[in-house]
Amino acid sequence: MNQFVQVLLFGVTLGGVYALMASGLTLVFGVMRIVNIAHAAFMIIAAYIAFFAFDLYHIDPIISVLITMPVMFFMGMAVYWLFFSRIKGAKRAGELTVLLTFALALIVEGLLGYFFTNVYRSAGPSYATEALYFGRFFLSAGQFYATLLSIALIVLLWAFLKYSRIGYAIRASMQNLSAAQVVGVNVERISMIAFGIGMALAGASGSMMSFLFTFYPAKHWEWIAILLALIVLGGMGSLGGALAGAFILAISSNLIGYYFGPTWSPITFFLALFVVLLVRPQGLFGKKLEA
Amino acid sequence: MGETLASSKIKPASSTDSLKTPSKLQKVFLGILLLSLLLFPLLQFVVGGLNYWLHMLLYTFMYIAMASSWNIIGGYAGYTSLGHNVFFAVGGYFTGVLLVYYDVSPFITAPIAGLVSLALGLIVGLISLRTRGPAFIISTIALLMLVKIAFDNWDYIGGTNGITMPPILSLSLNLVKFPFYYYMLLIAIGAVYTSYRIRHSKFGLGLRAISQDEIKAEVAGIPTNYYKILAFGISGLFVGMVGGIWGYYLTYLRPNIFLIILVAAQLVLMSVLGGKGTVAGPVVGAILFIAIDEFFVANLGYTELNIVATGLLLALVLIFFPQGIVGSLRERGKLPAFLDWD
Amino acid sequence: MALLEIDNIKVGYGGGPNILNGLSMTIERGKTYCIIGPNGAGKSTLLRAICGLLHPREGSVTFKGEVLNKLRTDEILNRGISFVPQDRSLFPDMTVKENLRMGGYILKNRKQLEDRIKEVLVKFPILNERSSQPAKTLSGGQQQMLAIGRALVLRPEVIMLDEPSLGLAPKIAQSIFDNIAQLKDAGMTVILVEQNARKGLECADWGCVLDLGVNRFEGAADTILHDPRIQELYLGKQYQNRQEKAA
Repeated sequence: MNQFVQVLLFGVTLGGVYALMASGLTLVFGVMRIVNIAHAAFMIIAAYIAFFAFDLYHIDPIISVLITMPVMFFMGMAVYWLFFSRIKGAKRAGELTVLLTFALALIVEGLLGYFFTNVYRSAGPSYATEALYFGRFFLSAGQFYATLLSIALIVLLWAFLKYSRIGYAIRASMQNLSAAQVVGVNVERISMIAFGIGMALAGASGSMMSFLFTFYPAKHWEWIAILLALIVLGGMGSLGGALAGAFILAISSNLIGYYFGPTWSPITFFLALFVVLLVRPQGLFGKKLEA
Repeated sequence: MGETLASSKIKPASSTDSLKTPSKLQKVFLGILLLSLLLFPLLQFVVGGLNYWLHMLLYTFMYIAMASSWNIIGGYAGYTSLGHNVFFAVGGYFTGVLLVYYDVSPFITAPIAGLVSLALGLIVGLISLRTRGPAFIISTIALLMLVKIAFDNWDYIGGTNGITMPPILSLSLNLVKFPFYYYMLLIAIGAVYTSYRIRHSKFGLGLRAISQDEIKAEVAGIPTNYYKILAFGISGLFVGMVGGIWGYYLTYLRPNIFLIILVAAQLVLMSVLGGKGTVAGPVVGAILFIAIDEFFVANLGYTELNIVATGLLLALVLIFFPQGIVGSLRERGKLPAFLDWD
Repeated sequence: MALLEIDNIKVGYGGGPNILNGLSMTIERGKTYCIIGPNGAGKSTLLRAICGLLHPREGSVTFKGEVLNKLRTDEILNRGISFVPQDRSLFPDMTVKENLRMGGYILKNRKQLEDRIKEVLVKFPILNERSSQPAKTLSGGQQQMLAIGRALVLRPEVIMLDEPSLGLAPKIAQSIFDNIAQLKDAGMTVILVEQNARKGLECADWGCVLDLGVNRFEGAADTILHDPRIQELYLGKQYQNRQEKAA
């Protein structure tokens, strides 16, 4: 029983981190109907920033969030303006954007590999390996702080969306884009901002990734596959669904990994995806997708 | 006329179909092309030292077959598959296992490998094709990851170390590439011909309707589910076959060579570059891509910049020429006859 | 001077053909206009062109002497023209109050926005009752009311409604037309597009018949309502006559 709770605890903390990663992805999809396959690649950019900030300047990776979030925010807006605003009106824009983000992911991966080589990296602040004890259970301090930060950021995101003027505009665009235009929302600008926010969330995730996991340029494929499976499970375009999917998958993959062996852990995600698609193609909380 | 799209069996078009039948000039061109390709290896006995070219050509044939196959589901039906190399892997391991454990030559088992891939495509399609658009694309990525993890951990087929296969020792260095060259050429012809016949059939018309507006197609009586799943299956057939041959050619198979997304990306790029949804597009795209790739490798080496180049090329094509070469030329009315097979 | 002057505009979607083919119309302050015509004539396109969701390819839309052609929707909303689209275009998961807040999105002053929202809720007690309910839980008639209320948050001078009675039962549709009559009484300029030509013309001062992208026929609403040609073409008089003969 003890072991079960311990594994559960790990699952919950992992779920928090996944939730943060998935929320950025979902936000972008909800507003612009863009499946950003490059999301994880941008996370790795941030991970490198955090890694070098720590390695060269001894900036704590968690503090580096203050750097990576703004940097990624502006990078995101620039990417949107460069790549996506141009294909807005094109035929079959939805499919085109998936392939475009795919191309973007390749470009990022290639550039990262070229400049930083494929050496496995991991930032090593002291708390990454310290253990914190909670009664009979423990967590690495790093996991604990990361989870706290993730939850804090998710709550901030929620509050921003619920109470700020731009948050309203973003939510409106997610629910009914044409209606948003009718009431005077500048959907181009809001899309750009939403993309920036999505990237900022990727930035925070990347900072945490730098000390929670080892990373290298090609690692983003692993991550994006997991994240995509996660949001399809939860229901694309639903932030609540992304959170639910994150926790469900994190906990169950941890439990399955513990009881059935480590190789089964990643398989959980993808098998779960297929099972859900068989039974409920729109995911747990999603609405029926348009083609 | 009385015959509806739904009631007609899938058969190739007769001359009542409004799509063009090839002109005499086109047929002559094709004849000359095929003859040259068939006779080319014989130059090995005259000039010698052509192994590099034989390699490049059979490599190109392989990708022509794969791109044309991808095009059936990705171009004709409009369902982008980002995990098509799964069929390649399945085909390769199928023939590889039969060779290593049971001593059966891949030249015999490759067609069966193709059928296995076909079956896999039908089964997976039954599940994946319940989704549309981005969710479908994601499901193909998930399939790729699943298969990779499974193969990485399956000891019978070697896990991450894969299978090593014996080379064909009975052939001299001069001749060793010959069987592979002809086999790949045959498969490529098969794939492109299949693509051509589908395009000129009611099945193909139905697929195009699905890619334009699936709901309207369904309302019009087209059996969309059946067509989609069939298309997905067929798109795996030739890919499985070339996979079966390629492993034998390389003499080894490992998951991390081709069960990676980069290869899936390259397949997509070829069709998009050439013009997806057309017959000649994937062929043109495959040839062009390989030429460009060789150019980059020759000048930049196997660095990460290759990956950047692939991505950049794909991005540029998508933004400026989403119809690909064949599509863009056709739009401007400048498509030369030898590329116009639609 | 006319309030809103539409001069020979040609409008189309994307790269497609012109839907409006040189349409001209004059809108005067305080009057109610009803635009009728067959499907595809360009009625919705006209309204969208006026409020900036589409830009005319040729011709001009002038409001109080200022040309609106190149302005964005929020700029046009700011100048006093509001639009209630055909499908109501509500935000389904937002509450009634939040939908109204979105109606006033372009208002920068928080207090002003709150006051305006209160105004609308007073005007529509049914909405007030349901102010915390998500819009998707409202009935068809209530949703239409919310859509109109949302447009009123900006206290527009001109309000345009695209087929407000669409999909509503006759009794509920009537209540919508009563609402429109109230807008008239309040001195607003109303442009109404209606499939229910009879009802629409009954509450209007002036009628316009759109067909094939041009203003084919216009006149006092009353006249149009009783014009035998119009009755035949758009009001189904011929069918009615045939029925009577057959009986």
